[in-house]
Amino acid sequence: MISTSAGIAIVALLALATAVSAAPSAGEKLAFDRGKGNCLTCHEIKGGDSPGNLGPPLADMKARFPNRADLVAIISDETKRNPRTVMPPFARNHILTDREIDAIVDFLYTR
Amino acid sequence: MLRKLLFLSVMMLAAVRPALAADLADPKAEFKAFRDYFTSRFPKVPLDDFVNGPYSMDEGLRKQWQEIEEFPPYEFAVDKGKEMFAKPFANGKTYADCFPNGGIGIRQNYPYFDTKSGQVITLELALNQCREQNGEKPFSYTKDDMAALTAYMAFTSRGKRFDIKIPDDPRALAAYRKGEEYFYTRRGQLNFSCASCHVQSAGNHIRTEVLAPALGIMAAMPIYRSEWSGMGTTSRRFTSCNSQVRATPLPPQDELYRDVEYFLTYMGNGLPVSGPGARP
Amino acid sequence: MHLPSSVARMTAATSGIWRPRMSVLRALSGLLLISVLAAVAMAAPADDFKAAYAKAEAASKQSAALKTQWTTTVATLKAAKAAADAGKFDEAVTLAKEAEVLAEASIAQGRDEQGAWKDRVIR
Repeated sequence: MISTSAGIAIVALLALATAVSAAPSAGEKLAFDRGKGNCLTCHEIKGGDSPGNLGPPLADMKARFPNRADLVAIISDETKRNPRTVMPPFARNHILTDREIDAIVDFLYTR
Repeated sequence: MLRKLLFLSVMMLAAVRPALAADLADPKAEFKAFRDYFTSRFPKVPLDDFVNGPYSMDEGLRKQWQEIEEFPPYEFAVDKGKEMFAKPFANGKTYADCFPNGGIGIRQNYPYFDTKSGQVITLELALNQCREQNGEKPFSYTKDDMAALTAYMAFTSRGKRFDIKIPDDPRALAAYRKGEEYFYTRRGQLNFSCASCHVQSAGNHIRTEVLAPALGIMAAMPIYRSEWSGMGTTSRRFTSCNSQVRATPLPPQDELYRDVEYFLTYMGNGLPVSGPGARP
Repeated sequence: MHLPSSVARMTAATSGIWRPRMSVLRALSGLLLISVLAAVAMAAPADDFKAAYAKAEAASKQSAALKTQWTTTVATLKAAKAAADAGKFDEAVTLAKEAEVLAEASIAQGRDEQGAWKDRVIR
């Protein structure tokens, strides 16, 4: 028979374990959603299947983009930096909201 | 002194100005540049192989194409098309009466610029014109009956080299330019031009699908696409490409689509008819 | 609320029929007033939607004429109409405004792209 406090501890640990191996973050969901970021169509991202290769793999993001604003700008409208890019302008063409882009950037910084 | 310097710098700038956007070469020169771009970018691909689209891009894919050709999914369409082609209209005439050489082995000459009507005539448009002239209802342009007919006609022309002409008529050149403009212009919410995928990203893959190079991309039409579980014509492909970048498609065989087909097929001159084709 | 004497006389005159008490009559007229006010209030969001939808539809049609229409514009307009038909006017107005934004963005895209193709031609 376990004591109440031990029982509570076990439940708490289980909850924590579930949270850690939990459902994907809002940003990950948006990134992998074909109707939203749809990032996998062109980019390899850890955790995603059957990626395309029109763009570079999205890895080491913290090291490659220490300035968050740079990454936000690329997703918002990469044509500003590279007029020949094939990357859709997610903010300019209202594919994603600024909040959605922020969530995706949060997610990308975990890759 | 300052005025002299100013004058000199303006003259220098004028001399080294970058090529103006208006400096377009004539179609013959553009044809050569287009072909050279792809052959130098994909040096291992034999020139004629470009007509196999994505399957031309590497050895593994080429083997896949060879396997598919052993049991081609478009075979039923060719058989159906052959039957349809031979069957007379209600008035006793046949398709053969509408076309040079009885419609056999002529795919490589389409589309052409018709100076009489001042427009680009594609094979599909010519087929429906033939039907209507003989009191028959036109077919839908995107699949089924139309795709069967063009599959058969392409099949009878396999191996013949595309030979699209631009007659010495300003309207023909204008049609070529309109098609060229469409090809390189971004559209849809996703902001892609045809060139975004089929020039810049040729040989790369979106998800698991390898993108075909624009060189010879019309040569295999009509195609059986696994994604469609059926046949589709140029119209089907153009309209679906538009939708995929979230651009409202034009009506099938719209004049602008025919101009695009004219431009693209011209760019593939000299390459062999490979249709009907199979694609993922 | 003080009832007019005519109403009071009418209620007194109707013998044998159910004669509502003053309190009931007061309640009924209150209810009538509230319904009228509510009807007036409900007409406003529907009008807001009509105006927003008209603007969005005009912009969408313009983008179609320019051959730069997006499929998403058409879909959003459709969703706006569906929401309005279901009586969800706030949602409908939001969607209609979104559709207008999309249509305008597609027109801007067409404008920006004018002539841009020439630099991209393979040379």
